[in-house]
Amino acid sequence: MTHLGSLALSLAFLLAVHAIAASLWGAWRRHPAWIQSGVHAVYAVFACVVVAVIALLHALITRDFNVEYVAAYSSSTLPLHYTIAALWGGQKGSLLFWTFILMVFATIVHLQNRNRHRDLMPYVTATLMTIALFFLGLLCFLTPPFERLTFTPQEGSDLNPLLQNYWMTVHPPSLYLGYVGASVPFAFALAALVTGRLSDEWIRTTRRWALTSWFFLSIGNLLGGRWAYEVLGWGGYWAWDPVENAALMPWLTATAYLHSVMIQEKKNMLKVWNMVLVILTFALTIFGTFITRSGVISSVHSFTQSGLGPYFLTFLIFVLVVSFGLLFYRLPELKSDNQLDSFLSREAAFLFNNLVLVGLAFATFWGTVFPILSEWVRGVKITVGPPFFNKVNGPLGVLLLFLTGVGPVIAWRRASLHSLRRSFFLPLVTGLLTGILFLALGYGNYYGLVIFSLAGFVLATIVAEFLRGTRARQAMLHESLPRAFARLVSKNPRRYGGYVVHIGVVLIFIGIAGSSFFKIEKQLTVNKGEQFQVGRYTLHYTEVKSTEDAHIASQAAVVDVYVNGHKIDTLYPEKRFYKRQNQPTTEVAIRPTLREDLYVVLGSYDAPSQLATFQVFVNPLLSWIWIGGLVLVLGTCITMAPNPAERRALVLARMPAPRTGEAVAE
Amino acid sequence: MQSRILLLAVLLCVSVAAAAPVLTTQEMEEALTCQCGCGLTVHSCNHLQCGFAIPAKQEIARAVSEGKTREEILASFVARYGEKVLSAPTVSGFNLVAWITPFLAIVGGAVFISIVGLRWARRQPQAAAPPPVSSETARYRHRLQQDLESFDV
Repeated sequence: MTHLGSLALSLAFLLAVHAIAASLWGAWRRHPAWIQSGVHAVYAVFACVVVAVIALLHALITRDFNVEYVAAYSSSTLPLHYTIAALWGGQKGSLLFWTFILMVFATIVHLQNRNRHRDLMPYVTATLMTIALFFLGLLCFLTPPFERLTFTPQEGSDLNPLLQNYWMTVHPPSLYLGYVGASVPFAFALAALVTGRLSDEWIRTTRRWALTSWFFLSIGNLLGGRWAYEVLGWGGYWAWDPVENAALMPWLTATAYLHSVMIQEKKNMLKVWNMVLVILTFALTIFGTFITRSGVISSVHSFTQSGLGPYFLTFLIFVLVVSFGLLFYRLPELKSDNQLDSFLSREAAFLFNNLVLVGLAFATFWGTVFPILSEWVRGVKITVGPPFFNKVNGPLGVLLLFLTGVGPVIAWRRASLHSLRRSFFLPLVTGLLTGILFLALGYGNYYGLVIFSLAGFVLATIVAEFLRGTRARQAMLHESLPRAFARLVSKNPRRYGGYVVHIGVVLIFIGIAGSSFFKIEKQLTVNKGEQFQVGRYTLHYTEVKSTEDAHIASQAAVVDVYVNGHKIDTLYPEKRFYKRQNQPTTEVAIRPTLREDLYVVLGSYDAPSQLATFQVFVNPLLSWIWIGGLVLVLGTCITMAPNPAERRALVLARMPAPRTGEAVAE
Repeated sequence: MQSRILLLAVLLCVSVAAAAPVLTTQEMEEALTCQCGCGLTVHSCNHLQCGFAIPAKQEIARAVSEGKTREEILASFVARYGEKVLSAPTVSGFNLVAWITPFLAIVGGAVFISIVGLRWARRQPQAAAPPPVSSETARYRHRLQQDLESFDV
């Protein structure tokens, strides 16, 4: 089966070369048969990659330890779901998995557009298959996933215990879907630049792809945070690690793009800027992969230093040179009808929103690469860690939260003072009252209160928008309240789904502020039967239970939780020992509520004396981060709902622009 | 009414600022990066047998209780482990570039947007003098403007 996998990858490589050559030749010579041959090659590459994935999964599931990858990332005692997750647990498998997702997307794109965009599609094919060719080249020549050992070990080394967590089964695929999804808008943008078809067509065609990529990047980042929170056991969810930063940067530029593209659609502005954002987002996904696999920046997430770094760097430079070269070539044709009536307008608010988002991406990039720069310039190794990012990105994040409230409410073109007063007075009062409320509840940190107040302000602007629209429908069309609300959203899902996404973002900000500025933490060593106090909780350590199977040996402390003398729960923080990897891990016990999370870590346990050391955190409002994530998912689903108005706009965008004098002749 | 709200906001800010906490061992622990390879700060490293974080935390607690300043404590760690032990670049010399560049980029971007925005504003076609309108037309126009602002269509 592994031979079949190797053969499939080699064949996929050759077919990818054919797909690129046939598409470009067909487009150049205007020969549909060649173009069609290129499309068929795409489907064939997809089939080959599917065969390779099945072959590797087969090797993993059948425990074929003669395959180096299987021996390195699985064991005979590894549960089935983690054995499947081992497909993306190591370098070679993750590259294959990346290629697989890319080919799934490429196939869907070609099926969707088999009778559309005939001018653009050959170049879309060539772009997507060039990306696929790069990854297939790595798999065929540098990191072959089916490489065999000269001997067959009795047992595999097992998957890293930190990866043996259910969030890890969904977090990497989600991030990969986001990363790879950015390839599709990039391919269409490049095709538009090559063909000179620079109308809104490519933007409207790829809107859902851009949203899908953004959606999975959002979910991937949140799931990564959730995984860190549950597995790493340090009481937090985001450590500004270089690889975390690498996943955040394309999310930021993609968010900027999703906003600025509205200005292009509404006002025919910012065509060049949107191209830049699409190119940057894709380039940042490759940059992230470069960071993870090059070893140039130390990170807990990094794969082993593999020597792939120079190849990724070369590909990244190739992408940037080709993309910006084409953009420069087409600059004269990308002149927009840029017009700004006033700085007090939605256009201006969106411009500043883009500035802050791209500024955040730049600050994150800068902090991530600065250690390399320092070493080059001064020859001194330095660390750029959480204090830097919190100080630099923190204020920018607060500014972004403020603009989240301003952007959607302020009028297009020019807002009068009267409309500003009317739109913002009540939200400002709400924001202020929110701050006072949180202060009264004991949240007495300046930075945190600013965020809570802004969150109140933004939520009030969104609620006011929903109310205003619903009331207008009730007044004009005499609809009932629920019907008016439902019709309001279904008539313009993009706009109101966007507001729901904003609610999700605000809830995430509330969770971050609560858990960052008002956290309580304590570390202490106690005897069996002893009680201790953390915040409003009294914890009673009663005993330790030991269990063991072929895979894991575990010791779980039994901790009763009391509030005001009433027992409210029993927690089981655990220490595990993974036998194959010979590695201890902590399994955190979390008691989440809307008010706060009680987070208990069993640090160490001494069996003879039964002394246990606990780290306990009380993380206020942290659950709102995950709730915000769910709201964000809901909002994104609404924005992607079918929209008749959007379909009409797409048809209009596809129609050629009328030539001068045409109207007169008619 | 609005001025009262503003005053309330100012009072809120002042009262909260007055409650700001003082320097703690936690801050010192967060200023140092653990050298065990976890990638976290000394404060966040939860490897309870950690060969770096545990002695570092003890040393920090001792130094703070002895009344040493933040700079003295950091300098002693830098002398032994180099600058990489600090969790953020120092605010001096070449490291200033790390701190200033993001804000310079943002300010530069804001200036650029302002200049370009002003240029775009000048681009607007000069409308011909509007024909005289009746008071009724003006009233409807005003109403239309208000409705457009309300419903944002």
